[in-house]
Amino acid sequence: MRLSPRSIPMSWKARETRYAYATVLPVVVLVALFTIYPVGYAVSTSLREVVLYRPASTPFVGLKNYLDIVRGDFFASAWGHTLTFTLFAVPLATMLGFGTAHLLRVRSRLAGFLNAAVLLPWAIPTVISGIIWAWIFNSTYGAFNGALYSLGLISSYIPWLSRPTSALFCVLFAHIWKELPLTSILYVAALQAIPDELYDAARADGAGVLATLGRITIPLVLPTTLIVVIYESMVAIVTFDLLYVMTGGGPAGGTSLISYFIYNRMFTSYNFGQGAALAVILALSLIVFILVYLRVLRSEEVYRE
Amino acid sequence: MIRRSFALASGLIALSVVVCAVAVAAAPVQLTFTVWSYSNDVIQDNIQKFQARNPGVQVALNDFAWEKFTDVMTARFVGKTSTDVSYSSDHWLQQWAAANWIVPLDDYFPQVAAYKPDFAPYAIEGMTYNGKLYGLPYYADTIIFIYNEDMLKRAGFSAPPVTWDDVTKMAVAMKQKKIVEYPLMFQFQDITPWYIEVFLSMVYSHNNPSMFDKSLAPTYDNESSAAHKVARWLVDGFRTTKIINPASLEMTEVPLVKAMGAGQVAFAVLPKYNLADLNTAGAHAQAGKFKMALMPGETHGTVGFVRFYAMTKMAADRGKEVRDGSWKFLEYFGGKTGGEFTVVKRWALEKGLGFAQLPLYKDPQIRAAINKWGNVTLEEQQSKLARAKEALTPFWGPWSLEFQKEMNKALLGQETPLQALQASAAKWKEMKR
Repeated sequence: MRLSPRSIPMSWKARETRYAYATVLPVVVLVALFTIYPVGYAVSTSLREVVLYRPASTPFVGLKNYLDIVRGDFFASAWGHTLTFTLFAVPLATMLGFGTAHLLRVRSRLAGFLNAAVLLPWAIPTVISGIIWAWIFNSTYGAFNGALYSLGLISSYIPWLSRPTSALFCVLFAHIWKELPLTSILYVAALQAIPDELYDAARADGAGVLATLGRITIPLVLPTTLIVVIYESMVAIVTFDLLYVMTGGGPAGGTSLISYFIYNRMFTSYNFGQGAALAVILALSLIVFILVYLRVLRSEEVYRE
Repeated sequence: MIRRSFALASGLIALSVVVCAVAVAAAPVQLTFTVWSYSNDVIQDNIQKFQARNPGVQVALNDFAWEKFTDVMTARFVGKTSTDVSYSSDHWLQQWAAANWIVPLDDYFPQVAAYKPDFAPYAIEGMTYNGKLYGLPYYADTIIFIYNEDMLKRAGFSAPPVTWDDVTKMAVAMKQKKIVEYPLMFQFQDITPWYIEVFLSMVYSHNNPSMFDKSLAPTYDNESSAAHKVARWLVDGFRTTKIINPASLEMTEVPLVKAMGAGQVAFAVLPKYNLADLNTAGAHAQAGKFKMALMPGETHGTVGFVRFYAMTKMAADRGKEVRDGSWKFLEYFGGKTGGEFTVVKRWALEKGLGFAQLPLYKDPQIRAAINKWGNVTLEEQQSKLARAKEALTPFWGPWSLEFQKEMNKALLGQETPLQALQASAAKWKEMKR
């Protein structure tokens, strides 16, 4: 049998296509198993009334869970706390990371020690960090109160974790302490990539420290800054473990961020339907950040400029 | 030759099958036991002793913080993490039972009925769901009023407070004499399960304390309710007279007991067993100075509660051997061994934990032990005035957390006491639907 001239490359192409599909199939199966299925299950749960102490009845309720959640007074306050937390956490983690990276670049005898020390918070599990910070801010025996009292700055111990605003800022402090190593390391890498010749040339042209910072360093670490900002935004929005350990979402729900609200609905109120609806809402919100993230990563203009 | 080899091989296979079967049959039953962290050394020692008596059962212990216990257990049950026997509480019995996570003991072990006459009525009520008994008591106790006698005397008072107005008067006097900045402290962290029991104890000390009617509709969300009186008293103490430590809103049991032991607190409402710890020589700077009084109020009523050992559905489904092993475990820990409530008695003697097993009140050893750190007569008197928490339903646990959150809004001045009660009553109605 003679093959037509066109059939040979077609057959080869088909085989190549099959091979390509076969090689990605295991990954697709894994992704489907661990991502698509749980997401689909969560969406399906969010459309049903799933209350754990009524296991026999899980009727389809459409968007009722979403409406109940959005209409509830706790939804707005939880988002309010989340946005407040994020608005403080992101700039502070970014700026302090940038500053710390500068310090780490200074060549000194202590450089090795400082590099290790700055990584320490990263090495400590978040729950342990939370327990440590809860002790530090404790109102009756906390080290923070002790230090302020010893310095004569306060006349009696302040219940930091018993007031909604100060409790939120205590968690924020612990969060930044935990995040600082990552942002610092990212900035160290970005700073090391800037050629020394640029600084030499700037100095030769008479540029001062601020001019060098504003015209060379900041523009050249901008891509890293964008990644840090977007990553830290996502981390701040989904913060949970520190809250869980330090405040339990209190006092009076004053530190209940949206992630804690989801946990509360599911594991405290046993309402998995509403918890899943909230999780879907949070996921959709995060997708906005992820899209921005992807868009920024794709654009090379920042580097070119 | 071939036939002989075949016979030999068959014999070896048969032998190995028999050996495997014997090994499986002889392998001890493995039980996973979940507890909240409290005196884990005593729990471990009890487990060792149980295993020595029952070599066919091995127990693995998993412990979690009390404040997070129900959340962790929910995650375990939903995720089907192996759990056979567990601590539980009257707070959560209805939820756990309705969700089919724990099983009624009478269905599997009819012999449990023989224990019922020994148990205090409020404890039986706290372990019963739909008429069936779900546990054997780990301990049962009352919420009591504890005071530092030395501070009270320094403030010029020779007897403890009888009403909540007395508490205010004495606390204000202590404050004015600079004996202590905040004479009262509560454990009012949003999520601590003690919060609601402390609040209800104060409610039950008033006349007409019911929070719900017979149809389980809330009746506490009005100005004349006992709950409103308590909420107003607390808000006044926080915001007007400032006799209550504002740190109460972050407080849980252990830090509160430590603060009291260190002399930072004169009055507290706590589970009774804490009195034993507070008066243990060397355990606290103020040890020996603490006494209990009947709960201040018109009736001196309080909450009687029970924590118990339960068997999970997972254990029940694992087969007869596991069920039998679980019963041996439950009976050793919450029932009798050699005719005695060995483990319950140990907790009472060593840690001052209360008990639901009423015959133990006649035990001279226990009476002597209680009198070392407390007053057995007063304790019995308070126990008689104790009542179980009312309206225990599958949504009682979630509601109690909403209640606590709303009350804390009132304590922070974000809502009035009445608004807080009304908001929590609205939550109850919503959950009941």
